[in-house]
Amino acid sequence: MLPVIWQGIVTGCLYSLGALGLVMIFKSSRMVNFAHGALAGLGAFLVYALTAGGASWPWTAAVAVALAASILVSVLVYFVIAPLLECSDTTATIATLGIGMVAQGIILWQFGSNIFRLDLPLPNVSASIFGLSVTLYDVTVLLVTLAVVGVLFLVIDRTRLGISFRAASTDPFAGRVCGLSITRVHLFSWIISAILGVIAALLIVPTTFLSSTTVTTFMLQAFAAAVIGGFDSLPGSAIGGILVGVGCNLFSFYVAPELLNSFLLVFILFSLSCFPGGILSKRMGSRV
Amino acid sequence: MSEPLATPAVTAQGRPAIRLDERLVPLGTVLVLALLPAWIGGGFWLYSVSLLLAHSISILSVSFLFRFSGEVSIGHNFFVAVGAYTVAILQGLLGVPFLADMVVAIILSVLMGLLFAWPSRGLSGIYLSVVTLALSLCVPELLLHWSDITGGFEGLFLDSQIVSWLDSETQQYYLALTALCVAVFAIHRFRHSRIGLAILTARDHPHAAASFGMTTGSARLAVFAVSAAIAGLGGSVLGFTTSMVSPNSFTFWNAVTLLVGSVVSLYSTRIHGAVFGAAFITLVPQILSNYGQLILIIYGLSLLGAILLSSIAMPAIARHISRRKKRYV
Repeated sequence: MLPVIWQGIVTGCLYSLGALGLVMIFKSSRMVNFAHGALAGLGAFLVYALTAGGASWPWTAAVAVALAASILVSVLVYFVIAPLLECSDTTATIATLGIGMVAQGIILWQFGSNIFRLDLPLPNVSASIFGLSVTLYDVTVLLVTLAVVGVLFLVIDRTRLGISFRAASTDPFAGRVCGLSITRVHLFSWIISAILGVIAALLIVPTTFLSSTTVTTFMLQAFAAAVIGGFDSLPGSAIGGILVGVGCNLFSFYVAPELLNSFLLVFILFSLSCFPGGILSKRMGSRV
Repeated sequence: MSEPLATPAVTAQGRPAIRLDERLVPLGTVLVLALLPAWIGGGFWLYSVSLLLAHSISILSVSFLFRFSGEVSIGHNFFVAVGAYTVAILQGLLGVPFLADMVVAIILSVLMGLLFAWPSRGLSGIYLSVVTLALSLCVPELLLHWSDITGGFEGLFLDSQIVSWLDSETQQYYLALTALCVAVFAIHRFRHSRIGLAILTARDHPHAAASFGMTTGSARLAVFAVSAAIAGLGGSVLGFTTSMVSPNSFTFWNAVTLLVGSVVSLYSTRIHGAVFGAAFITLVPQILSNYGQLILIIYGLSLLGAILLSSIAMPAIARHISRRKKRYV
């Protein structure tokens, strides 16, 4: 049972990264980005195309190019979405579905529906600690997640940009009165979200392989994690990711791996019923 | 998003503008659709149009949800599947006549809709969207899991005959048309009923609606249940027109396609709007069958285009025109 939980924690970290990206965008602009998975998948495919499939660039250069490309794409997407955001949040949310379809369509068009193998450039080393086999991959995932989350929370807590992000997410109108550029805050959250998405996608791919659907379905877990955190709490969604990871792993090991999505549905419904404001909310009750 | 209550347009001189009676377009659409089989005969095109009508019922349910509660669902393939499989199972395994199955399918869809909308009734709309995302992804795996009832990958076959003296193609077509008309008419009456107006008030002015007993939560539940009922109706009609149901027609992408149709029809709850949306999603793949892998990109771009056009370009043009008019009067 312990190895199952350990693997759940490792993948859960990646769900947290995905969920953090969703929550960043939701906090700053009150919309859900359904294109998150597909855009992150696009980044992972770019890395694949630059390293294993075709051009054999060094891994670091490929990742740098993929990150830069996804930042560029997310800025572009934001400028398409931004005028819709002034009309209604729901309209902007539907528009992200359209963008997700375009991204998914580009993946299918360029790479087909084949399954690719993309391994991280890590030596295959594993150690046994208390009867638990820990590979270098697990350690890398944990370290990268801790580093990324630590830097993110430092930025949000300490820098001017982070303070303006918190201000804009608490009360955008008051922020604008104080002279904040809401566009800058939105761009900040979209860029951070794109970076988190690509990192999560690259780290999840060695376990699930790379195909046009893996990263998109991986994002359902991220959505579940975000819902457990209440969709507007960064620490809540980080904890939610690990809960989802452990829960999913236990479910697919002991019950039925083919019913994973149904398990997630029940998980989401359960957490909405028991913690409507998120797992870390102080007061219970509904927000209308 | 808000529909203005029907007020006759009045020009600056104070006399009613000369304009088309707005009932003319839907009535004309129904008339054209009723006479269509006589023109195209039968075969593949009649089947395509029957399928189109079945899809337009499902699109109607998505549009209804957006219009009446401002929520977006990407899980309506679930309710369509509930409708289709209920009919197929009841007819195939238990031998219940089709029209009775339809009623059961609708009731079952309503119950499912209430069940899945209940946990997020008091929360903002995005929670419902996430629930529907999970809902739509778990449809195929549930269908495959209970394959001894649902027939697994192969699916189930239906008997598309209600009366014996008419060929099944014509029956499929006219059943789909009747169901579509009933759904559109029901939505129209609902919109002008007391409870429908209360629900619309709950969407636009939650506090005013709550003061006479219609809370946002109950309005949401009611709208989602009605929307699920329409989707269930659409599903049962879809099963009837295709004479078979299989998990392939109820995937996540089918739900997204329904949403694309709804957006392209500008969330219209009129019959011509729904038929236009369905025509878009059924004809585009057929016309562009040579560019199969580009379908997703085209869908995505047209969804984006329709949204940008309807919420940015059209209001801007309308503002421009009204400004010009003021200048001359």
